[in-house]
Order: sequence, then structure tokens, then C-alpha cells
Amino acid sequence: MTRIRTDNLGEAKAFVLHRPHPSMQPLLRQLHVIGLDVHEAWPELPAEAVMADFVFYDADMAHDEQFPWKAGASPMPLIALIGSEAPGRLRWAMTMGAHAQLLKPLSDKGVYAGLLVARSNFDRANEAAAHITDLEARLSARQTVVQAVMIFVLRGKSQAEAYELLRQTAMAWRMTIEEAAHRLVTNHSSEKVSDDSKRVDLP
Amino acid sequence: MMKRNIEIGLLHSLSGDYVALSTVARAGILRGVAEVNTDPALDVRFSVVERDPEGRLDRYAPLCRDMLQHAGVRHIFGCITSSSRKEAIPELERFHGALWYSAPYEGFEANEHVAYMHSCPNQHLLPLLDFAVPRFGNRVCLVGSNYIWGWEIAQIAREKISTMAGQILSDRYLPIGDTGLDQIVAEIRALKPDFIINSLIGESAYSFLAHLAEMRAEAGNAEMLPVLSCNFTEGEIPAAGAAAEGMYAAGPFFEGSAGGHGSIAEMSRLAVHELAGYLNANPGAEMLPLTDLIALAAKQGRALRLDRENQHASQPVVIAQLNGGIFEEILRLPELAADPYWTRRDRSSLPRSHLRVVS
Repeated sequence: MTRIRTDNLGEAKAFVLHRPHPSMQPLLRQLHVIGLDVHEAWPELPAEAVMADFVFYDADMAHDEQFPWKAGASPMPLIALIGSEAPGRLRWAMTMGAHAQLLKPLSDKGVYAGLLVARSNFDRANEAAAHITDLEARLSARQTVVQAVMIFVLRGKSQAEAYELLRQTAMAWRMTIEEAAHRLVTNHSSEKVSDDSKRVDLP
Repeated sequence: MMKRNIEIGLLHSLSGDYVALSTVARAGILRGVAEVNTDPALDVRFSVVERDPEGRLDRYAPLCRDMLQHAGVRHIFGCITSSSRKEAIPELERFHGALWYSAPYEGFEANEHVAYMHSCPNQHLLPLLDFAVPRFGNRVCLVGSNYIWGWEIAQIAREKISTMAGQILSDRYLPIGDTGLDQIVAEIRALKPDFIINSLIGESAYSFLAHLAEMRAEAGNAEMLPVLSCNFTEGEIPAAGAAAEGMYAAGPFFEGSAGGHGSIAEMSRLAVHELAGYLNANPGAEMLPLTDLIALAAKQGRALRLDRENQHASQPVVIAQLNGGIFEEILRLPELAADPYWTRRDRSSLPRSHLRVVS
């Protein structure tokens, strides 16, 4: 679900990565009017920018090396300041991980919307990433459980007996079923490897 | 004293959906102009160039442009709705004009070409809720006209009430001018809220108030279902009639006696005085951009109603109840600076997070 959070902007710290230029004044002024603590930076974002709540960056002249994090891995919402609409520059701006954009020439308009949209997109991207990590972990654990059950089945147990055996093993080892399954599968494959190593392959 | 003449623009609709509000605003401006023109202490006099948008949204931009481009006007007094103000702004930017806007609005704007002379939510809705929740309770119904004012008042009320551990029981909108309220009224009858935030405008509001008055009469309880409004002013009392009795309203000003036009007229009048105060003994200053003009007046130590950073007026917060056709003041808070983006709350002592009981 898409949410727009309006809270805590009054305590927020914003960095603006752009060469000093009079055309930045409307943006700086409006951020100030909205109530943010605003810092200008050029040519590099200082390390403390990692603690910022928002970073605005020049999509026309900035490049990867000015950021203290890897492209697409910003720890806060990013807002691209776009002048040139050339595809190469836009691709770079998106690769950096823009969560919102403002078009030059900058004015008071769109600044507040940019903040809220960027935060909403940032939250959503993080939630999605966390969700994917969780699903991947569960998916791979499920495969491991099936593999562990198969080990018992191969040794002559029925599927129901194999699950029960896995459950008892996990209890005995004081770990979750997924962890026990992981250990069983790891042990089993290392046995297999050592078996294989004894085998002499003929050319 | 020799007065220099300055032409100012007047951009209010003489017909259309919100003509009740625009005519009182217009009356306030003309009264302000008459006062300035006869004030011997001021070296300026204003003459008015007027255009009538007739309540039609698409007429605001061309009329605004015409005044700025051809009539030699820099300062325009006008607009009631936020949508009309947003129509005027690009023209103000293009032709270096300033709009003196004197209606209450929903906030979330601070344009360098606009002087916001009435109030925004931290000066009307939020203090009204601070007043109402301890007094009436925290189960609330929201009713509004289906446009930006109604929606945003509801959104802000929802956020504020959630921080007060309250509950929004319903949130309903009606097209402007619509009086088909049966469903909304039936719902309120069933929900029995502690109070109602009414952001309906015009005929819808009057009809809604009449329905509620009927319910109170049936129950023989004049105190039940208190109604709160941030947009109802004295100018509407005749149209709403006795059904409006008992209503609570928040604003920067109430008349205190019968027959006045209310805060929109008063803020419009004061806007004219504000500009005159900035221009007095500053020949040529009328050509300055609004922000420079405010900065100059501040440097000269003049009394300013407008904030130098966001061009919004500081306002006292008055909460009043309609009693016998007159708004009686119940509570008055000292003058409060506008917080159009509602970000100063973050620095207050409000709890930053809420613990929830997980069962």
C-alpha cells in the first residue's frame, strides 16, 4: 500500500549536491520555508551525508564518485535535479537511484511534493526489498526441508515417517526444522563428496 | 499631504458558486481602500482596477495577466478558492505581480508572489481540535465538500486526531452545491459522534446544518452533535439561518456584534492596510517584488503581519460559538505564526512513536 508520511519533516536534514549557483536559491529557500535543515555540498558529499534524511543531486554534472555509497544503495530518499533530458544523463540519474525528481529551472513548486514522493518511494522500495529477502529465505529453506525429507525417504522411510524423524532430530539438536534440515543436507552432501572423491574416473 | 496614486487590482467574482464569500472580500478591500485614501498619515492613495472572473476558474489567469500586462498593476487583491489562486500564480510569476489572498486555506504552499493574509490549519483547524477533543470526546465524523479544501482538512484532522488517540468514525464528501444529504445524515444518526468537523461550503453546508438541527429538536437536546467549522463566517449566517445556532468556528477574527461580514472581509481590509503600510514614504516601492518589499519594511522597523520567510500572516486564534446570530468568543490564543507545511509540530513535545498493544 502506498503511504504518504508528512511527519518529522521539521527535523529533517537535507543535503543538496550541486555546484553553487543562483538558480539553486528557490530550492534552498523552499526547503528552509518547509522547515528542513539544509546543507549545500560540492563537489563531494561529506561522509556525514550518510546521516541525512534527504539528498538532492544534480543530474546534469554529478557522477558516482561524489557519493559516499554505491549507486542505487543510498540510505535515504534521493531527489534528482534534472536539467538535461538527454537519455544518457537520465539513465545515470536513475542508476543512482532517484526516488523523485525536480526539473530545472527550480522554483518553490514541487519541492514539498518531491520530499513526500521520494520518501514514499524509498519506503516502498525498502519494504519490497525486505519482503523479497524474506521470501527467498523461506523459499530456499523449503527446498532444504524437502531435500532433508528425501534423504530419509531414500533410506526407506515413508514421507510421513521422514517428516516426523526430521522433527525429532530438530528437537534433539535444539534447533528449528529449517536449521536441522540445513545441517542434514550439508552433512549428506559432504558424505557424497567424500564418496565421490574415492572414485577413480577412467578417461 | 500630497498623495501618490497607485493602481491596485481587484479580482473577485461577482457571481458563481462562492459569490457570498467573494462579495464580502470585495467589500473589505473597498473599505480598506477608502480608509487608506482618506488617511492623512499615509502618502499613498489607491485606485482600483477591477476584473470579474464570474466564478469561472478558467477566467482567473487571463484576467490576472491582463491587469499585470496592460493595466500597469503590480498588486492584486483577490481569489477565494485555492484552485483560482493556483491559476493566478503562473501569471504573477511571469509578470512580477503579487497576490494578496485573504481567505482561509488548507496550507502546503508558500509562493513568493503571494501574501497569505488569512489563516492556515495551524491557526484554525489544529487549535479547534485541541479545544474540542477534551471538551466533547474523541469519536469524530468528517463531512466536507468534494474538493481540495474538504479533502485536506479531513486529512489533517485525521492525522491530528490519531495523535490524540481519537477515532474517525466516518469521512464523507458531497459535490459542491449538492444537498442530497440523507445517507450522510442517517450515518451520523447511527454513529452518534462526539463532534462533527463540517467543511461543506455554501448550500450543502446550510442544508446539512438544517438536518442536524432537526435531529437535535427530535431528541430535545440542543447540545448533541456539536458542529465545528474552519470556513463558516458571519457572512453566511443569514443564509444558514437558525440551524447554524450553537456551531463552533475557528478563525482570526469574529465581529462580536450582528451584521458584520466576518473574517474574510476583515482580513481583506487589513491586507490593503498592510500594503499601504509598506509603501508609505517609500516612493517606487510598489514595483519591488513582494519578498523584497517585505524585507524593506522589516528593515525599516515597520509593523509586519507577514512572515519574511513564508509570506503568511501571524494571526490570533479565536474560537467562537454562534449564539443568537452572533459569534461569541470562547477562547482566544495569542498571535501565532503560520506553519503552512505543519512541520513545527515535529519540534514540539509530541511523542515521536506510539506503542501498540499486541495481543
